[in-house]
Amino acid sequence: MNTDFINICLADDDEDDRLFFTDAFDELKINTKVSTFNDGVALMNYLNNENSVLPSVLFLDLNMPKKNGVECLLEIKKNEKLSDIAIAIYSTSSSEEHIEETFINGANIYIKKPNDFEDLKKILAEVVTINWQYHTSGLNKDNFLMRM
Amino acid sequence: MRYTQLQKSPVFLKIIFVISVAIIFFIGGITFKHITVLKKSSAWVSNSHEVNAELERLISYIKDAETGQRGYILSSDKSFLEPYYKSKILVRKSFKRVSKLTANSRTQQSNLKKLLFFINKRQNYLSKSLYLKEQGIYDQEILKNNLIIGKQTMDSIRIKIEDMMITQHRLLKNRQQEYESTMNYTPLLIYLTLIVTLVLITIAFIKMNRDLVLLKNTINTLSVANEANNLAEIVGGCGSWQLNFETNTYTFSDNEYRLLGCEPQSFEASLELFLNFIHPEDLEFVIEKTKSIHTHNDLAPFTYRIIKKDDKIRYFRTVGRIVTIASGDKTFIGTTSDVTDEVQAQNLIEERNRELENNNKELTAFNYIASHDLQEPLRKIETFLSRLVIKDYSNLSKSGQQYVSSIQSSANRMRVLIHDLLQFSRTNKGEKVFKEVDLNVLLENAKQELAQIMEDKKAIVESNELPTLNVIPFQIQQLFINLISNSLKYSKAKTAPIIKINASIITHNEEDLLPNSNSKYYKISIEDNGIGFEQEYAKKIFILFNRLHNKNDYEGTGIGLAICKKIVENHKGFIVAKGIPDQGATFIIYLPA
Repeated sequence: MNTDFINICLADDDEDDRLFFTDAFDELKINTKVSTFNDGVALMNYLNNENSVLPSVLFLDLNMPKKNGVECLLEIKKNEKLSDIAIAIYSTSSSEEHIEETFINGANIYIKKPNDFEDLKKILAEVVTINWQYHTSGLNKDNFLMRM
Repeated sequence: MRYTQLQKSPVFLKIIFVISVAIIFFIGGITFKHITVLKKSSAWVSNSHEVNAELERLISYIKDAETGQRGYILSSDKSFLEPYYKSKILVRKSFKRVSKLTANSRTQQSNLKKLLFFINKRQNYLSKSLYLKEQGIYDQEILKNNLIIGKQTMDSIRIKIEDMMITQHRLLKNRQQEYESTMNYTPLLIYLTLIVTLVLITIAFIKMNRDLVLLKNTINTLSVANEANNLAEIVGGCGSWQLNFETNTYTFSDNEYRLLGCEPQSFEASLELFLNFIHPEDLEFVIEKTKSIHTHNDLAPFTYRIIKKDDKIRYFRTVGRIVTIASGDKTFIGTTSDVTDEVQAQNLIEERNRELENNNKELTAFNYIASHDLQEPLRKIETFLSRLVIKDYSNLSKSGQQYVSSIQSSANRMRVLIHDLLQFSRTNKGEKVFKEVDLNVLLENAKQELAQIMEDKKAIVESNELPTLNVIPFQIQQLFINLISNSLKYSKAKTAPIIKINASIITHNEEDLLPNSNSKYYKISIEDNGIGFEQEYAKKIFILFNRLHNKNDYEGTGIGLAICKKIVENHKGFIVAKGIPDQGATFIIYLPA
């Protein structure tokens, strides 16, 4: 396991969004290793594989084919091995229902996909450098939604 | 009230009847007694006469004997002795008859004993005289003596008999007096009782007459009411029926038959025959309901289908309850009405409602999905644009740069539009959960949401104490956000916006537009010092996509105030706007208290 890198995973079915995501990390001067998955099934296969390196932060899109974000979230939180991974919901939607549902099911932060690439970079930089232990202990519904 | 009078009548009449019968029995008894007395007294009269006649006869027999004896003594002709012997037997017989006739009078009996003594004495002397004659002892002195004694005895007999006759007469007189004294007061008594009876019968007659008049009036009223009811049933399309619990028989009104498509009273009313008309699918349900008549006092309204005689299906609604009539009997009365039109109209409305609801849901869903899903490509366009601007902006020509910024502002505008549309559809959709909330808190949240713009524009929001109301919290917060941001948006370029929020409680009659249904309202006004508007547009600004200004001058989608209207309507309130150009606008919200 290489501890110099922050391992990051993204599950998103949208090719453009995956591109923005990887580009943003490429431009950020943070040592990260980003893996992307096209859908929930691919992500879960990776996480359940014993040889896989588990990410420290997992970005989950909600609307995905085969297995959606919420299903993945439930599965991860049920699995003891995976339940420590910090989960950031990464979605176009900012509807109250989605925010509420993912908060209740144990996601750590909710990011509404920004409309500006520079904003995206700022958000991602902030998220990967969060002290999760500190963040999680003071987590409530108001600071769950990431605001710029 | 009048009916209770009729109820008591039979008791009264019965009492009079019993009294009259008793009186008639009384009179009968007295009359019987009188006839008996009369009979007795006439018996006495004839008895006395007989006694007198017999006594006369007795004395004549004795005289006959004497005459015969005298004749024999004088003529010695034995033929004179014949009446003498005969009279002996006749006297005995006669005496016996008298004795028998006067058997019930002690005075007469003792008189008779004395008489018998004299008769015997007389006869002895007669026999003695005869004996002397037959022996030929013809002594003048002795004969004379004998005859004198005989005469004396004869006088005694005569006196005795006269005495007896007087006694008899006296007895008769006494008895007649006695009879007369009884007869004197009885006619009066009979007369009096007859008068009493007549009075009673007259009272009874008057009473019965009155009752009859009352009964007739009641019957008249009833028949009018009945006819009115019949008419009402025909006009109202309903019929009525009764179930008598005592006899377990049914009665149907005329219109009940007509409702079934039959001639009035064309068949004998019964549950079975009525059930024959019920639609087979509803039969079980109706039977269940009819059973409950016997266990419940009320039959709650229920609707079912029947098949009329002409095979047409109609909807009936039946309702009924137990009525205890004045006599104490229990009758179940029910009304059946033909509610086919009502049910069909109801069904139509329900169907339309469902359609409308579905349409509405589809529209809301469409609106939501459209605005939500439009965000996705727009976000890409904007992100790519932002990348283009950062990476390759300097490589673009002047016009290229111009185009890019135009695209950016259009995309930006589109985002605002989509955002507002989404907001609008959310106020329609979403669960409307009402909560008691302090509006001051909601206003504070709204101000926080707008903190950045307020700071930029150096705006001041002043508010007095707002009430705590039962509202949908996030919607009211949205309402404040939209109204304040509206004021901020249309503020004057060089003046810092001042927004004043005031709340007061008013009654419905202080404002024309408020309905009477809810007596008290909270009036919340939001007043600004912005550019205002012409009052003629006051209603137009709340219509979706309606804008008063060119979008280049003031950004806006024409959705914000439409959302406000929608939110206020969700709370059964009202919103109005007042504007004065270049002075400011005031938005007034009325929320039910």
